[in-house]
Amino acid sequence: MDTFLRLAASSIGRKMAVAALGLLLCGFLGGHLAGNLLLFVGQDAFNAYAHHLETFPLLEPVELGLASIILLHAAVTVYLKVTALMARPVGYAVQVSKGGRTWGSSTMIYTAVLILVFIVVHVATFKYGTRPSPSDLYGLVMGYLRDWRWAVFYALVMGGVGLHLSHGAWSACQTFGIDHPKYTPAIKAVGTAFAAAVALAFAVIPVWACFIKRGQP
Amino acid sequence: MKVTLRVWRQKGPDQPGRFESYEAEVPSTDMSFLELLDTVNEGLIARGSDAIAFDHDCREGICGMCSQVIDGQPHGPDKAAATCQLHMRKFKDGDVITAEPFRAKAFPVVKDLVVDRSALDRVMSCGGFISVNTGAAVDANAVLVPKDDAEKAMDAAACIGCGACVAACPNAAAMLFVGAKVSQFALLPQGGPERARRVLRMRSAMDAEGFGHCSNEAECEAVCPKEVKLSNIARLNREFLRAVLVSPE
Amino acid sequence: MKLDARIPDGPLEGKWDKARFELKLVNPANKRKFEVIVVGTGLAGASAAASLAELGYNVKVFCIQDSPRRAHSIAAQGGINAAKNYPNDGDSVRRLFYDTVKGGDYRAREANVYRLAQVSNAIIDHCVAQGVPFARDYGGTLDNRSFGGAQVSRTFYARGQTGQQLLLGAYSSLMRQVGMGSVKVFSRREMMDVVVVDGAARGIVVRDLVTGKIESHAAHAVLLCTGGYGNTFFLSTNANSCNVGAAWVSYKRGAAFANPCFTQIHPTCIPVSGEHQSKLTLMSESLRNDGRVWVPKNAGDRRSPAEIPERDRDYYLERIYPSFGNLVPRDVASRAAKRMIDEGRGVGKTGLAVYLDFADSLKRQGEAVIKEKYGNLFDMYHHLTDENPYKVPMRIYPAVHYAMGGLWVDYNLMTTIPGLFCLGEANFSDHGGNRLGASALMQGLADGYFIIPYTLGGYFGGAKLPKVDTSHPAFAPAEAGVRDRMGKLLSIKGKRTPASFHKELGKLMWDNCGMSRNAKGLSEALARIPKIREEFWKNVSVTGSGDLFNQTLERAHRVADYLEFAELLVRDALERKESCGGHFREESQTPDNEAKRDDANFCHVAAWEHAGPGKDPVLHKEPLKFENIHLAQRNYA
Repeated sequence: MDTFLRLAASSIGRKMAVAALGLLLCGFLGGHLAGNLLLFVGQDAFNAYAHHLETFPLLEPVELGLASIILLHAAVTVYLKVTALMARPVGYAVQVSKGGRTWGSSTMIYTAVLILVFIVVHVATFKYGTRPSPSDLYGLVMGYLRDWRWAVFYALVMGGVGLHLSHGAWSACQTFGIDHPKYTPAIKAVGTAFAAAVALAFAVIPVWACFIKRGQP
Repeated sequence: MKVTLRVWRQKGPDQPGRFESYEAEVPSTDMSFLELLDTVNEGLIARGSDAIAFDHDCREGICGMCSQVIDGQPHGPDKAAATCQLHMRKFKDGDVITAEPFRAKAFPVVKDLVVDRSALDRVMSCGGFISVNTGAAVDANAVLVPKDDAEKAMDAAACIGCGACVAACPNAAAMLFVGAKVSQFALLPQGGPERARRVLRMRSAMDAEGFGHCSNEAECEAVCPKEVKLSNIARLNREFLRAVLVSPE
Repeated sequence: MKLDARIPDGPLEGKWDKARFELKLVNPANKRKFEVIVVGTGLAGASAAASLAELGYNVKVFCIQDSPRRAHSIAAQGGINAAKNYPNDGDSVRRLFYDTVKGGDYRAREANVYRLAQVSNAIIDHCVAQGVPFARDYGGTLDNRSFGGAQVSRTFYARGQTGQQLLLGAYSSLMRQVGMGSVKVFSRREMMDVVVVDGAARGIVVRDLVTGKIESHAAHAVLLCTGGYGNTFFLSTNANSCNVGAAWVSYKRGAAFANPCFTQIHPTCIPVSGEHQSKLTLMSESLRNDGRVWVPKNAGDRRSPAEIPERDRDYYLERIYPSFGNLVPRDVASRAAKRMIDEGRGVGKTGLAVYLDFADSLKRQGEAVIKEKYGNLFDMYHHLTDENPYKVPMRIYPAVHYAMGGLWVDYNLMTTIPGLFCLGEANFSDHGGNRLGASALMQGLADGYFIIPYTLGGYFGGAKLPKVDTSHPAFAPAEAGVRDRMGKLLSIKGKRTPASFHKELGKLMWDNCGMSRNAKGLSEALARIPKIREEFWKNVSVTGSGDLFNQTLERAHRVADYLEFAELLVRDALERKESCGGHFREESQTPDNEAKRDDANFCHVAAWEHAGPGKDPVLHKEPLKFENIHLAQRNYA
């Protein structure tokens, strides 16, 4: 308990919480992506997978856990951000990067907000949306994604997720002190590759659904 | 060549501040930026006006006294250099150069471009040392230090305590400063006995002074006049985790 | 005034031991009843304050910068000497002692220098224990390099930042004591006066540079660790805030000032580039380990260095001084450079420089090795001059660097005012007429870590010190005097800036009392300085207010001190009619233009006593006895 409190009471510990929750979310993204890829296999495979998930007895606790992880990741970050704003009450008239920041790192807060908005929309439409038939999640998903506006929205958001991860994945390792002159370049490369792979693989689905699969049964 | 200086003027800690512009003739591009400020001040004093206050001392990039954010970058546009090592050859005729004080809650403005960085000293007094009294040392060669560790410790120890890392950090964090000191001693066998105590106490002092957190954006590393590496922050994180999880402290 | 150096009798080797035994001790419980003021936080001040606090004394520390870590010791680059003899190359305490006395041209006290050599090894041990990251060999042991004036490798170093690392070591010990509550640091304070009660120093008056407030602080003893007076020359390698104020006001209160004419001109500085120059930057003397100094053989040869073939180059140090070569002591190297330049063989745009060439070492050792040894110095040079020293030779020129002279102190580091001690560069004691490279760090730390902790206890143990606080009637007039002076500076409202007076004085000093001096030039300077001073007090312009942060006022106050002190420096230079170490009198030279000492008439310390405003100071001579070293003309050939 003491250990936990000491972590929770420190800026480093709080940042570690953000990092740990972020890494958990990376794991979730991997799983989610694997499921999504079943869309390519076909309607039956995807719906069978969806059915399997929805009848999983511990679904609600897991969903609750996932939601808490997301909210906690966001809440601790907001807390840190507020203290950071307090740490510099008067800003600069001119501020120019000397090369440390990346696109990913300097847009973390914006991509985060984008992702939060997306999650709400995503859950509202795909989890609570009306399916063509009760067991046809595939139909629901493809129905939305065939609309080019939805497809573009999904693809763009996935770009945002990629940007977020491009900094987040390596940053989490750095926060836990995982750093070594021999391995850090590899860790950074893996982080970037993971970000790019996740973003691309997720984004391919709406593009495929909208522009290739459209019109096919 | 001629430049315009846009300088933050503020009479005292609780006074409002504003930018004032000064036209300045640059007689030689070998002149340093601080020497240009000297020249502007000579003009101001001769006209009976209050000179621009700015911190400076050794003027060779080692004491860490000079500060200023010049054109949006702590210590100006040069890499691996302090403000005192910035030369006018970096600028061109007609440039408007903006000079502001370091901005952080932990660094209140004293006057104009001068800030109070005593927060860094207070953090140091909480653990930035090895507890050894004069007279208690063993022979210098009794403790062997691998060359590579000594070099890495030296890389970290090169910190001049200027606070540019704080000034550049989007969160006004002092993690690079603290990381450098924690690293120096964590890398050396002499620092071993109070490794955990040091990192715990310096961390809590750092937070208490009102510095922000680290978001690993590496601006600190990019502006550091002594090129202190981000790995020192990773080591600080590691040392902190190790201290919290396994030390009896 | 009677000068009693209090040097213990008996054989040289046993003097310090004897002194330590005879100095009275203060018992641990009583130590906390003593308040000690330390002014300055360089190597001497920080190490003294930390060590005294460790012993149990209550210490108040004052520094002029915003943090004690910024004192100018931080800029020392090359290294610190010690007689460890780790390289097994024939070093010993006696050899370090001998080299230092010889390097100082036989104008230092044997007993002091021997003690310095004796404690040198403990300094290295202590600094390593503090975590100073000295350079090491692959086996993990400490590495050494050689330095000017020595034929052994006894210099320990931390890249080109040795001073910084040693200072940060002392600062860390100091901050530890701050954390423990036994030291209180007062930063951005300038010492304005020393308060003497019943003949003993019992406090100081300082100005808070942020608020302008004049504050008094009382104590049982005051330690001045305020560095040298090189900035009297305006351009020097000293930091901008280095000043003579604390020492000068102590002189006016009765402390004798010794050998002010002994100023060191360092041979390896980056040449002046123009009128705007505000300070000079030193390149560590360690560069002379691997760099070769040369000028063209023929006067007026304006070719670029790459175009000058070997046969047209004169490696003059190697030619004139074959056994020490490029590693002759600083004064010798500086004067040799001046001779070359006077012959019209100077290089660069201004002709006021000589080359320091690394081409041979780069070829022999490779860029990586040179980079590891001198990387930061090369970068610094590159930055400042926009020339890459890995490709073209560096240009160097001598510059005012170190003050060997300073407040006169006895063997216990006490000035002629009881209770007022003086440590490090601010005192005169160990370097004679010239300081060897890597010995300043050694002396500052020796004084602070290993000498004052004993001698201050001895003073407390033997003195009767009644309770004195800042309500004592001696404090108010001192404070009033400071307020008057500040008020006066602000009220003149003249036409000229403080810096313009400083520049004028500096030029006069460099021209008439610089690398080479003669009676005519010195007399001229002696006549001119009071005139500049007079104009200063009539025509200086100090803007801003006295009760706010005001750097113009700070500067004016310091320039006013230089304008008085410079006169003493010149007077001392005029009085010392011999050439000796850094003090070169043209009237006294050998047929080869080397410095010629006059041991019959000048083998003494010149200690000046203030006789009151407007009166000539009184010269006292402390004879120097050499019982262990045979006085000889220095020969580095």
